[in-house]
Amino acid sequence: MKSEKKRIGVFVCHCGINIAGVVNVPEVVKRLKETTDAAVVIDHQYCCSDPGQNLIKETIQKEKLDGAVIACCSPTLHENTFRKTAARAGINPYNCEIANIREQCSWVTEDKEKATDKAAKIIKTLIKKVQYDEPLTPISIPVTRKALVIGGGVAGIQAALDIANTGYPVILLEKNPSIGGKMSMLSETFPTLDCSQCILTPKMVEAKQHPNITLMTYSEIDSVSGYIGNFKVKVRQKARYVDWDKCTGCDICVGKCPKKVSDEFNCGLSERKVVYKMFPQSVPNRVVIDAPNCLYIQKGACRLCEKHCPFNAIKWNDKDEIKELEVGAIVLATGYELLDKQRLGPYGFGKLKNVVDGLQFERILSASGPFMGEVKRPSDGKVPERIVFVQCAGSRDPENAMAYCSKICCMYTAKQAILYKHRVHQGEAVVFYIDVRTGGKGFEEFYKRATDEGILYIRGKVSKIFEKGDKVIVWGADTITGKKVEVEADLVVLATAMVPAAEKSFAQLMKLTQDEYGWFTEAHPKLRPVETLAGGFFLAGASQGPKDIPEAVSQASGAASKVIILFASDTLEHAPVIAGVDEDLCSGCGVCIDVCPYKAREIQVKEDGKKKTVKVIEVLCEGCGACSAACPVGAAQQKNFKDKQIEDMVKVGLE
Amino acid sequence: MTSFAYYPGCTLYTKSKNLDLCARETAQILGVELKELETWNCCGAIFSTVTDDIANQVAPIRNLIEAQKISNKLVTLCAACYNVLKRSNLYLAKAGNETYRKRLMNFLDTEYNGKTEVVHYLETLKYDIGFDNVKAKVVKSLNGLKVASYYGCLMVRPSEELKFDDPDNPVMMDDLFAALGATPVDFPFKGECCGGYILVDKPEVATKCAQTVIENMAASGAECVATTCPLCQYNIDNQQKMMSKQYNLPIFYFTQLLGLALGIDEKILNLNNHFIDPKPLLKQKGLLQ
Ligand SMILES: Cc1cc2nc3c(=O)[nH]c(=O)nc-3n(C[C@H](O)[C@H](O)[C@H](O)COP(=O)(O)OP(=O)(O)OC[C@H]3O[C@@H](n4cnc5c(N)ncnc54)[C@H](O)[C@@H]3O)c2cc1C
Repeated sequence: MKSEKKRIGVFVCHCGINIAGVVNVPEVVKRLKETTDAAVVIDHQYCCSDPGQNLIKETIQKEKLDGAVIACCSPTLHENTFRKTAARAGINPYNCEIANIREQCSWVTEDKEKATDKAAKIIKTLIKKVQYDEPLTPISIPVTRKALVIGGGVAGIQAALDIANTGYPVILLEKNPSIGGKMSMLSETFPTLDCSQCILTPKMVEAKQHPNITLMTYSEIDSVSGYIGNFKVKVRQKARYVDWDKCTGCDICVGKCPKKVSDEFNCGLSERKVVYKMFPQSVPNRVVIDAPNCLYIQKGACRLCEKHCPFNAIKWNDKDEIKELEVGAIVLATGYELLDKQRLGPYGFGKLKNVVDGLQFERILSASGPFMGEVKRPSDGKVPERIVFVQCAGSRDPENAMAYCSKICCMYTAKQAILYKHRVHQGEAVVFYIDVRTGGKGFEEFYKRATDEGILYIRGKVSKIFEKGDKVIVWGADTITGKKVEVEADLVVLATAMVPAAEKSFAQLMKLTQDEYGWFTEAHPKLRPVETLAGGFFLAGASQGPKDIPEAVSQASGAASKVIILFASDTLEHAPVIAGVDEDLCSGCGVCIDVCPYKAREIQVKEDGKKKTVKVIEVLCEGCGACSAACPVGAAQQKNFKDKQIEDMVKVGLE
Repeated sequence: MTSFAYYPGCTLYTKSKNLDLCARETAQILGVELKELETWNCCGAIFSTVTDDIANQVAPIRNLIEAQKISNKLVTLCAACYNVLKRSNLYLAKAGNETYRKRLMNFLDTEYNGKTEVVHYLETLKYDIGFDNVKAKVVKSLNGLKVASYYGCLMVRPSEELKFDDPDNPVMMDDLFAALGATPVDFPFKGECCGGYILVDKPEVATKCAQTVIENMAASGAECVATTCPLCQYNIDNQQKMMSKQYNLPIFYFTQLLGLALGIDEKILNLNNHFIDPKPLLKQKGLLQ
C-alpha cells in the first residue's frame, strides 16, 4: 500500500434533477472541501456527457491527480465509462471509483437534509477507498482455440459441427464404438414421424468427414486439469483389438464369430457377436472385439475372425491408449439413460419378459431392430393384440423414484401407440397417464391424432403389473370414473424416467456440479442455461435435464456459440479485482478452497518443498470475497477490498 | 436367558392359538423368553387415522406402558397388532405432536414418551437371535418344501413408518425359511391385501382379493403358504373352497413351520385347525409320521 497520499479529485454529478433535486450538491461540495483532503472537488450537471467527461479528464491532467471519485449513479451503469475516462487522462483506471449517490441516496428518500448528509458520507468513504487502491492491470491469458465435445449423441454432434464450421478444430469424444447416441436407437420421431436414422445418419457422416472434427470413439475421459482456455485432458482410448486403419467394416469377421452375447443396442432383445458393429450405420463404420467375452482373449481358443479377415486387421496385442489433449473449451453432451426397471417393484422388478421400457419398444418398432420392425413381443414372438403403455413409470414419483417430470414420455408414448396401430391395425393400445403434457410445437395436435386413431387413454396410475399365464395383467385406477381397472395385455411398455448418464465420479473429474439427481447444473437456470459455474465448460442436450431432440439440438447450438465467443480472441481478459494470497500469512489450511464457488484456489508447495500455501488461479477468480471472509488468518485478501481498506471506509461512514 | 416383553393379542388367545404357542415354544428353544405382559388389552385392531382420536389411542399406548415393566422391546406376533402398536407409538413420539401427547396422558396413569420399541417376532429371530443360530437348532430340515411367504399388507405398509422390509419385495420370512431348509417361492403378491375385514361388508371384493393372491401363489409353484396374520390365514385358507379350481394350498403360521423344523411337540403345532389339511403334504415331504 502506498505511504504517500494520493491527490484525489472528486466530481459530483447533478444528474439533472435526479440527484440535485434531493441532494444539495453545492453544500456537499462545500463540506468535502472543508472536511477531506481531496485535492479538488467539482460538480457538474451531467458527468457522463461529453463535456462532463472532458472536464474530468482535463482536471485530472491539470491538477496532476492520481485518483478520482465520481459521485453519480450506480457503478453497474457508468463505472466502465469513467474508468475509461480516467485511463485516457493517464491514471490507472482502478484508482477511479464510483460513489453511488443516486440509487442508494437521492432516489430512495425525499428528505433533502438527510440525503445531503448521506451523499457526503458515501463520497467520503470512497475517497478513503481510493487512498488505498492499488493500480491494477487486467489479467490476460492465452486461449487454446480447440474444443472438446464429450458425448456423441445428437447434441454432441450438433455442437461439434457448429464449432467446426466456424473454423476451429473440435475433438468429438464418445464412449461407445459409434457416435449417434440414443437417437440412433429410435424408430420414428414425434411429432412428424420422420425416421430417426434417416435424419441422423447424414449428420453423423458429416461429423466424420468434417476436416475440423477429430472423432475419438470407444474413448473415455481419464483426467482433466487446467482451466478455461487452457485445459489438459487425458483420454483413454479403449483397446479395440482391431486395427481401424485396416478394417473396412465389411463384417466378414462378424459372420464367422461363433459366440453370441446380449446386444446392448437392441436393449437385450437380441444377441450380437463378440466381434461386432454397434449398428449397420455405425460411424466410424468399424468393428471392435468385446474382450471380456472373446474366446481367444479369455481362453486362447478360436481366432476365427483373424483367420477370415481379408485385411489382416485383427490386432490381438491392442492396448488401451492414453492420449493427451490440449483444449480451450469443453462441451458436455453426455445425455441420459432410462431408469433401471429393477427399481420399479410394483411393475415386476424388470423380471417380466413382456414388460419392456420405451427404448426397448423403439427397438421393437425399428426396421433394423430385433424383429425387423414387425411388432412382436419378447417372450414368444407373438404379435401383441393389446399393448398397455404406462406413463410416468418412475417419474413424478417422489416416494419411490424421481420427483421430476421426464418431459418427453407423453409424446413418445403417443408416438409409439400410433406406430403400433399403424403396424397392427386390429391392435388395441391403452395408455395410463397422470396428465398428458403437450407443451411443444405441434405436440397437442399430435396427441389429438393419437386419440382420434382410437388409442384409449385412462387417467390414473398403475398400481401393479404381473403375469398370468401368457398375459400380463395391469392393475390401475381410473380416476375419472373412480373405479379400479384391470387390463389384460400381451405387452406392456413402461415410459421409465430419464436419468442422467453422467455419474458422480465423472462430474468430479471436472469438478462440475450436478443437481440431486445428477443432471449437470447450469450457471443460471434462466439467463445462463448452457454455461456452468466453472469457466470453460458448457452444457448441451439431455446431460442437463430431460429434453427431446429439437431442444437438445438447440441447446447444443447455444453451447457451440458460447465456445465460439470464447474463441473469438486468442487471449482472454479478466477483471483484476480478484483475491490474492499473502504467502507469509497463509498456512495452507485450505478453508478457502472449500468455500470458493469458482474452484479458483488450489494448494501449492513452495520451492523449498516445505511450506504449503494457497494459490489463486487468477483467471477463474470472480472476486466474490468468500475466501477473504473464510480465511482465519487474513491471508486471503481481495485486491482493492483489503480488510484494512474496508475497516477504514466503515469508520469514515460511521463518523 | 434374555426376556422380552411379549404381547399376544386377542386372536392369539382364541382362534390363532398355534401362532402364539409355537412362538413361545420356539423362542424357548432359541434361548429367548417371550414374557407375556401382566395385563393387556386389545391393541385397537385398526390404526386410527382420524386426527383427533384420543380415545382410540389409549388402548394401544396402555400396552406399551405396561411393557416397560419387562423390557424396552415389545415383541408382537399378529400383523395387525404389530402395525397398530408400532404406529401408535410413532405417532405419539412424533415431533410436533406434543399437545396431542399431553392430552392423551390425561387418560393414562403413567407418563410415557414412546420409548418402548415395538418389534415383530420375525425381527427378533433375525436381529436378536440371528437366522444362523436358528439354523443351528434345526432338527428337521424343511426338506425343500416350497413355501410362499405371504406378508400381506399390514406387515409392510406404510413402509416409511414400519421400516420392516421392502414393501414391494419383502424377504425376511423367505430368508427364515431358507435357513430352515425350505425353498422360498417368489411371487408378486407377497405384500398384497387378502381381502381383510372387507369380507364382512363386501364379500365379493374380499373374495376376489384372496383368490387373486391364491392363484398367484399357486402359479409360482408354491406347495404351501406361510403368514404372520390371523386374518390372512383365515381368508387364504377359507376362500380356497369357493374357487372353481381347487389348489389345495395349506396355509401355516410361520411359527408352525419354525416349530416343525425345531422339532416341537405336534400338539403344540396343532395341525388340525386348518380348512385345508396340511398333513398330507407334510407326510408326503417326510416331515410328519
Ligand atoms: C423411448 C424414447 C423415445 C424418444 N422419442 C423421441 C422422439 O420421437 N422425438 C424426439 O424429439 N425425442 C425423442 N426422444 C428423446 C431423444 O432420445 C433425446 O432427446 C436425445 O437422444 C438427446 O440427445 P443427447 O445427445 O443429449 O443425448 P444422448 O442421445 O443420450 O447421447 C449422449 C451420448 O454421450 C455418450 N456418453 C455418455 N457419457 C459419456 C462419457 N462419460 N464419455 C463419453 N461419452 C459419453 C453416450 O454414449 C451417447 O452417445 C425419445 C427418448 C426415448 C427414451
